[in-house]
Amino acid sequence: MSIEVTGLNKKFGDFVALDDVNVTIPTGQLTALLGPSGGGKSTLLRIIAGLEKSDTGTVTIEGVDATDLPAQKRNVGFVFQHYAVFKHMTVAKNVAFGLEIRKRPKDEIEHRVQELLKLVHLSQFSHRLPSQLSGGQRQRMALARALAVEPSVLLLDEPFGALDAKVRKELRDWLRRLHDDVHVTTVFVTHDQEEALEVADEIVVINEGRVEQVGTPDQLYDEPANDFVMSFLGEVTHFGGVSLRPHDIELETSPKLAGSVEGTVHRLVRIGFEVRLTVLTVDGDEVAVVVTRAHARALQLREGSTVWLTPAAGATVVPRMAAAV
Amino acid sequence: MTSTEIAAVRPARTPRRSGPRSTLTRSSGLGLGIAMIWFSALVLIPLAAVVVTAVDGGWDVFWSTVTNGQTAAAIRLTVLTAVGVTAVNVVMGPLIAWVLVRDRFWGKSVLEVMIDIPFALPTVVAGLVLLSLYGQDSPLGVDVANTRMAVFLAFLFVTLPFVVRMVQPVLEELDRDVEEAAASLGASRFTTFRRIVLPSLAPAIAAGAALSFARGVSEYGSLVLLSGNLPFKTEVTSVRILSSIENDNVPAAAAVATVLLAISLAVIVLLDVIQRRVAARG
Repeated sequence: MSIEVTGLNKKFGDFVALDDVNVTIPTGQLTALLGPSGGGKSTLLRIIAGLEKSDTGTVTIEGVDATDLPAQKRNVGFVFQHYAVFKHMTVAKNVAFGLEIRKRPKDEIEHRVQELLKLVHLSQFSHRLPSQLSGGQRQRMALARALAVEPSVLLLDEPFGALDAKVRKELRDWLRRLHDDVHVTTVFVTHDQEEALEVADEIVVINEGRVEQVGTPDQLYDEPANDFVMSFLGEVTHFGGVSLRPHDIELETSPKLAGSVEGTVHRLVRIGFEVRLTVLTVDGDEVAVVVTRAHARALQLREGSTVWLTPAAGATVVPRMAAAV
Repeated sequence: MTSTEIAAVRPARTPRRSGPRSTLTRSSGLGLGIAMIWFSALVLIPLAAVVVTAVDGGWDVFWSTVTNGQTAAAIRLTVLTAVGVTAVNVVMGPLIAWVLVRDRFWGKSVLEVMIDIPFALPTVVAGLVLLSLYGQDSPLGVDVANTRMAVFLAFLFVTLPFVVRMVQPVLEELDRDVEEAAASLGASRFTTFRRIVLPSLAPAIAAGAALSFARGVSEYGSLVLLSGNLPFKTEVTSVRILSSIENDNVPAAAAVATVLLAISLAVIVLLDVIQRRVAARG
């Protein structure tokens, strides 16, 4: 196991950033730390990198106890949300920095820098200054700079957070492909569940300083451990004392299925191919339901229609918590 | 060849390659005009007048004035002390700025205000303060009155805020991420400072150094009391210029002023060159 974090606690004043966190991050995989802003995921990443000190607990990187090692000695690559470029150095110099620190021979550095710039598709920009690059290009340069020192783990703190939606999506695909080529153990922080579900091999959901669940994207989506994980990974509605996805509710205009609950369509909104309904049940629940456009038309649904709702067979269901998000 | 022929051969409206294109409009042209009149009236014309007065009596008179033993000693003392003080400020200034920006401690806001005191204080009051602290009746037992140390101390006192105040805002704006990035790439704190932080601070340090040097060279009020103004020993150029004028020898005063002007100009250019070198180093 590449990174092992045990019993980590961290407070900033009265604010508890991390509360007894235990995580194991597998070697060679792409792991996402997913959670809402201020949930402690960045703090965890910075503690792994040695940029922040934990109050208690240990960090082991590739079998070496790194708890008291300074950032310089951990051999981790770190990529920041706002790129953290060395703005007075050219792109090539930025990438070469870590190798120059390690006093590698000049021709080896040059060779390695060219190789990395090719990997991140920046070869033709090697003599430019970072200010002459776009945001996406700067982040790719920062990634090449972090990879240059052949880190044992690569840590990315909201790497695409400062980019616009289109570039973010491109870079996300590109990171996945890059990781398939390079295979360095990678951990990235994100608050975007789509990004995590799409890119990561494994997701660690963190909320209010605690690990809520660890698993593959499928596991998290299909078997969420609790209401929080379920609601964070996608839309959730509450129906008959449980939480479930709005598209996992069957809707009919007559009580065909056993256990169905009667209700009235309160609101009906069509968005592209899907129709979103708000149904008020006779039990007093306000349930969100998503049906296809064709289904809605076939049933001739309109506001005020009487409908019967049933949880779909095989739906992902978790008991509803008192303090549901 | 007449001008019309030239115009026919070479289209008159091709933009020139060398130099930046002028972006002046009618209103910005007016602005430039006002700025130039202002600058000329306050700076260029008086400076030109000083230079003209200095060389009025011919080159020989100018040369013999500035190479006169007492004058030359005053110039040497002033310039060397100003250089020395500037060198100290270039090291101490960023250090104080660093403490003020990066560290949190009790009494920080008081220190923040205190930094400006040497700048805000009337110089003769500063002189009085220095005299009572480091004069013959020094409560500290440190008596530097009538020595060159007094000149150095006075310069140091009045030039303290310059580098600090120039560096401080730049340091505040510096991205901490960048230093963390350097650290995670294996750079020691010293290397990070030298290769990442210093190049960003260089322009501010140079600007502060230029101000500090200029202030040192021109200093009068804070040192007259403590230094004793002894010829060949502790007499500085500003004192020398004043005594020349008191003796009705305006050309001599202007000659010394011209030399100082040339030295100051050279120092400002030199600092700019150094600053560019450091800022480009990585």
